[in-house]
Amino acid sequence: MPELSPEEWTAVALSLRVAVVATAVSLPFGIAIAWILARKSFPGKALLNAVIYLPLVLPPVVTGYLLLIAFGRRGLFGAWLAEHLGVVFAFRWTGAALACGVMAFPLMVGAIRLSIEAVDLKFEDAAATLGANKGWVFLTITLPLALPGIIAGAVLAFARALGEFGATITFVSNIPGETQTISAAIYTLTQVPGGDAQALRLVVIAVIISLVALIVSEWFGRRAGRRMHGI
Amino acid sequence: MKKPVRILAGIAALALALCTAPAFAQETITVFAAASLKNALDDADAAFTKASGVKVTASYAASSALAKQLESGAPADAFISADLKWMDYVADKKLIKPDTRFNLLGNKLVLIAGKDSKLSNVQIGQGFDVAKLAGDGRIAVADVKAVPAGLYAKAALEKLGSWAAAEPKLAQAENVRATLAFVARGETPIGIVYETDAKIEPKVKIVGTFPDDSYPPVTYPVAATTSAKSGTAKYLQFLRGSEAKAVFEKYGFSYLAK
Repeated sequence: MPELSPEEWTAVALSLRVAVVATAVSLPFGIAIAWILARKSFPGKALLNAVIYLPLVLPPVVTGYLLLIAFGRRGLFGAWLAEHLGVVFAFRWTGAALACGVMAFPLMVGAIRLSIEAVDLKFEDAAATLGANKGWVFLTITLPLALPGIIAGAVLAFARALGEFGATITFVSNIPGETQTISAAIYTLTQVPGGDAQALRLVVIAVIISLVALIVSEWFGRRAGRRMHGI
Repeated sequence: MKKPVRILAGIAALALALCTAPAFAQETITVFAAASLKNALDDADAAFTKASGVKVTASYAASSALAKQLESGAPADAFISADLKWMDYVADKKLIKPDTRFNLLGNKLVLIAGKDSKLSNVQIGQGFDVAKLAGDGRIAVADVKAVPAGLYAKAALEKLGSWAAAEPKLAQAENVRATLAFVARGETPIGIVYETDAKIEPKVKIVGTFPDDSYPPVTYPVAATTSAKSGTAKYLQFLRGSEAKAVFEKYGFSYLAK
């Protein structure tokens, strides 16, 4: 296996870091929103659903641009965040994580919602009659039964975050070490004559990481499924 | 045929007919031009179309990206690069006709800041502390590895002894107009672009000019590609004419063609 240059390692490490953080941070929100969409009914539910799925349907560059307007240095929230909380997204890996998280969120919510909807309400009712409050029911019945779907949603979100390009490059551009993920690095290399060999190496790495993520998710999903169904 | 199938067949036939329509369109010249030429060349092309009736389609991007596209077989008739390096590159690959090549324009490198910035009249000389001017923000430049504007900026900063301090604070964009946009949007406090770019963007102001001897002179060579259509010679001739000269000089380029 040909040696990777430090810049390439930086891009790989940064991609993994951004994808992990994006998935980890959005997971609690994903589970919460999925649960609300699956179990609750309220006016405006269709609108909430539409807004959640918007990043999936909009061109990624549009989502990136909206993030820029909202969270850029002079953005609606970005200026306030920078001034009062010291949180800066512009040109930082945190911005890349935000962009990836937003783009991957609909996929996560979709998968988790389906698995929560598949949890038989009778089990939840049974637990309630045995004295469990709503929170306990959620933690001990709904969550474990929905676990294969949650894992699938998380891995899907991770893979999407890993491959995110359009929104990231529009929002936080392409800074080696901070926001130059594998996709951005490959893009930069293909724009420069003579960069094809390096680009190819990164492409191979991206494929390997994605394959590993998918195989691991399949394994975990099956294992969780086996436990739930007592095989 | 059943009704839905007939409708589908009708649509397919229409689509096919529309696809062949371009074959009857008027002649169009495709020019690949450096991003910094956008406004000026658009005007020059409009004047050419008015004079000759031939339409010009311009594709603007970093000269390095355009060179790469030409290498991959992109169908362009003319190429205008922002430095000699990328023109030499495509010449080496036998992608342009060397006898059509000539130097068209020159430009200058300037330091810009947002129009509301407190900076003004920055003296740019040896030991120029650009990192300090950026404060806790970044310095917007074009990609310093390949894009001409970035290459010139790096050369200037290196010559002035400011490169080491500036390098970790760079925000590299994929072409000089994206660099301009960074500063215009306030994403970075300062940036390094061409004088002509700063002039067309009302949201930025020039706060300093790099000394001419700190970077190789900015030269825009033009050439026809080896696959150029016959009308390209007339187009290149137009670019060497007084009408084009007036347009380019209006935007602040220095006109080098004789």
